[in-house]
Amino acid sequence: MQVEGENSETAANARAFSGRGLSKIYITGETEVHALRGVDFDIRKGEVLVLLGPSGSGKSTWLNIVGGLDRPTSGTLHYEDNELTALDDRDLTRFRRAQIGFIFQFYNLIPSLTAEENVRLVTDIAEDPMNPADALGLVGLAERRHHFPAQLSGGEQQRVAVARAIAKQPGVLLCDEPTGALDSSTGVRVLETLDTANRELDTTLLIITHNAGIAAMADRVFHFLDGKIARIENNTHRISPSEITW
Amino acid sequence: MKALDLKLMRDLWRMRGQALAIAVVLAAASATFILSMGVHGSLTVTRDAYYSANNFGDVFANMTRAPRSIVDRVARVEGVQQAQGSILQYALLDYPDRVDAVRALLQSVDERGRDRLDLVSLKTGRMPAPGQPGEVVVDEAFALANGVSPGDEVDAIIYGTKQRLRVVGIGLAPNYINAFAPGDIVPDDTRFGVFWMGEEALEAATDRTEAINALSVKLQHGASEPDVIRAIDTILEPYGGTGAYGREDHPSHMFLDSELDQLEAMVQVFPPVFLIVSTFLVYIVLGRMIRTQRSLIGLLKAFGYSDVAIAWHYLKFALAIAILATILGSLAGIWMGRAMTELYGRYYHFPFLRFSFAPGVFVGAGALAMASAALGAVTGVWSAARLTPAVAMSPPPPPVYRAGAVERLGQRAGFTAIGHMIVRHIARWPGRSAITVSGVALSMGLLFSTLQFIDASQFMLESYFFRSQQQDLSITFTEARNEDVLYELAQLPGVLRVEPRRALSVEMSYANRHERTALQASAPDSLLTARIDQDGNVIAMPPGGLMLSRQLADQLGAEVGDRVRVKMLGGRRTEAMLPVGALVDEFIGANAYATDRTIEDMARDGAPAGSALLLIDPAMRETLLTELKAMPVALSIGDRDLEMERFAEMIDDNINTMIFFYIAFASAIAVGVVYNSARILFSERAHELATLRVLGYHRHEVAVVLIGEIALLVAVAVPLGLITGHWLAQFMVLMFSSDLFRLPFAPSNSTYAYSAMVVLVAALLTALVVARRVMGLDMVRVLKARD
Repeated sequence: MQVEGENSETAANARAFSGRGLSKIYITGETEVHALRGVDFDIRKGEVLVLLGPSGSGKSTWLNIVGGLDRPTSGTLHYEDNELTALDDRDLTRFRRAQIGFIFQFYNLIPSLTAEENVRLVTDIAEDPMNPADALGLVGLAERRHHFPAQLSGGEQQRVAVARAIAKQPGVLLCDEPTGALDSSTGVRVLETLDTANRELDTTLLIITHNAGIAAMADRVFHFLDGKIARIENNTHRISPSEITW
Repeated sequence: MKALDLKLMRDLWRMRGQALAIAVVLAAASATFILSMGVHGSLTVTRDAYYSANNFGDVFANMTRAPRSIVDRVARVEGVQQAQGSILQYALLDYPDRVDAVRALLQSVDERGRDRLDLVSLKTGRMPAPGQPGEVVVDEAFALANGVSPGDEVDAIIYGTKQRLRVVGIGLAPNYINAFAPGDIVPDDTRFGVFWMGEEALEAATDRTEAINALSVKLQHGASEPDVIRAIDTILEPYGGTGAYGREDHPSHMFLDSELDQLEAMVQVFPPVFLIVSTFLVYIVLGRMIRTQRSLIGLLKAFGYSDVAIAWHYLKFALAIAILATILGSLAGIWMGRAMTELYGRYYHFPFLRFSFAPGVFVGAGALAMASAALGAVTGVWSAARLTPAVAMSPPPPPVYRAGAVERLGQRAGFTAIGHMIVRHIARWPGRSAITVSGVALSMGLLFSTLQFIDASQFMLESYFFRSQQQDLSITFTEARNEDVLYELAQLPGVLRVEPRRALSVEMSYANRHERTALQASAPDSLLTARIDQDGNVIAMPPGGLMLSRQLADQLGAEVGDRVRVKMLGGRRTEAMLPVGALVDEFIGANAYATDRTIEDMARDGAPAGSALLLIDPAMRETLLTELKAMPVALSIGDRDLEMERFAEMIDDNINTMIFFYIAFASAIAVGVVYNSARILFSERAHELATLRVLGYHRHEVAVVLIGEIALLVAVAVPLGLITGHWLAQFMVLMFSSDLFRLPFAPSNSTYAYSAMVVLVAALLTALVVARRVMGLDMVRVLKARD
């Protein structure tokens, strides 16, 4: 297993994901859709990765498989020393519970729970979670923790989603269009929060976006096309989210 | 087919589970409606046809003995179309190989076929021929129960003399649709039957040449029954007439009538419960469907569909369910109707009894189903019609949740986030939650109230046999006897105690109400005729006054302390004003009791006894019965244990059929309500449930959100269900009680447990079935679609 610029021993310690020959075929009716076509990749722990590509290029499928929401049709996937592709549903759920924080474009907050309770949803089942109030404090929403989603703005809702994702102190944060529904300044705030989590908690950050500007805050950028990683771009200089504009 | 109708078909198919669940509840309404109305109709039609074909009389009278010539006098009374005299005589049948006493009521028929009223329908054989004294026609039920066929012979003790009877035919008549032995409360075809015997033969056997003791009268159209009764009573007074009475008081007619009343009561209780629940189910399911199809409605309207077209489209959804329900309900109703009619056929003796298909009943059931479905659809359909395209196509405002009072409690109780999700969702949809709770409560109430029937019957059985009947055997004499017979009985082997039993046939009047009953005597030192209250204590017989069963007191409208006019029917026809001194709770019959002194003051006849009560040594039972059967004075022998057994059998017979139906019905409601609630819950929360799975919740943890809400609602429904059950049961007790008996309200512990358990199990199994959908939840797909 090769990870650029590091010897194999430390690489093993620092490896988050490694995938080999990952394919995903969806069968809908009589048509087969090849969403992923034999993708190989390695991701370091603590890395910030941005996934770019047109709709239908396979990046969401890839993210779902990496996050343990879906299984590849073929290929293997490891997280640290565990082969995710060998896990049953129960263990995949355990893996998500312990390691993965999700952030979606449309927040996916539970409307019947307040901001704090949405965070508690995760801290209730996590092994070593933060205090929900502290997590909300990190995203600047300590004051609004007793508000229901319907009483919060889009940006605030997304920050609650971020707080919910980081509260369990996950190894990996998976973000599918985290700023897609937000205006620029709100989007930047959300990205800053994610960036902070990455720097302070050493959380691996995988971000799907249509916004090429965001690529500048990544260590690397995967360009998806037709179910493959067509190109990998290394950023020599990561910029801070506050410098991004769109 | 129009595109919109295709959509309707596909919506129905897609929501088939929910539609079917509603249809089943609605079908239960149709089925119970068709069952009750259909059986009621079948019985009424059959009875009326039978009455008319066999010319059942309108007015009846009994007397000690009257010359046959009075028949002509009665026939000349104004308003009388026809009169017919006959002889009625009880006889003891002697089957040598049987220990139990088998009795027959001999009813005279004209050997020359000149009878015009209460005609016998022959099933096989022929009527008794003139000059053949021993020939009898045996009633069909007795013949079937005892394997009697034409050609068989049996010895009978008639009027103290043994005579051989020869069966020449099997038949039945409209005045014996139910035939009871004297003193029995349950028909018993194996031990009692009606035998039709030639008039001349019976005259000879009972020493009543040219005399009769019973009259049957047919009235002219429009004649006044009370006037005719008064005239007949006057004619019969010198002959020991015990008072003429109309059909309403004819035992056979009355028994059938009380059954018809019960069927009517059933229609008033069951179908409405099912209809209400179905209306609510249509309301929540269609409401939810219209909410999810909101943007589609906008689109259709934008295309140019009118508000009316949209309203009609959704109304058709409800009506389609009602049509399905009517079909299912009709099939179930016919099936149950047949089963029930067959059951009736065992207790009611008709020449034919079939469940008839009156089209009106089915049309009525269909109309009720349509109306309740349409009623449930009204609000949803109205909201669909009112939506404007622009509003409809924009997404609905997000649901607003609030932390309510329960919440603050929950906060303190340390609710998990999942707990909050459950409680707040219930609070967010209070109407739907209330419907789920009341639906489950109603199903439990229905089960409770029907199971209570069994308890009531058992309570009645125990009360009647263990509190009112303390003797082992009762001997009815061929005619009233005095001390010598009692002494003779006491000498028989195995007899431990003998007590005389006297009763006067009386009419009691209070204010303007009149009731005919038997006034029974009770000696102060009696062990066998004492009335016992529910706690097992003897109720003291008021000296110089009356003790009435609560039923009789209610019928008269009299209370303790009131003075009731008591008029002897027959005998010396004395009258007395007697105070009501006590009431006793009895469930069978409307009875009256007085001390033997009070009775003697009225009768003034030296106190002969009509029957005797015996306490016996069980080991000597068979020997004793054989001895008793040989005694010429014994007209009939009542055996308490046999009667009790028979009563229990009858209850079991009815109840096993009933319980099966009602468990099915109650479960149908519980399943229908819970299934629909859970499906709606699931569809509303699919997105949230998928989110929970993404966040790392296991499937079973996610299912808790679904099952937890249902479980909580069901938990609230249980106590409400028991309250509903109490209320329904009391209502039914009231509706089902008749002049013949009164049902007690005495639910047993197992009724509480059983009704709660059946409904809980049905509800939770249904919730589990829906929760299994969590297993198939596609996280990826759900999350892609914004809700």
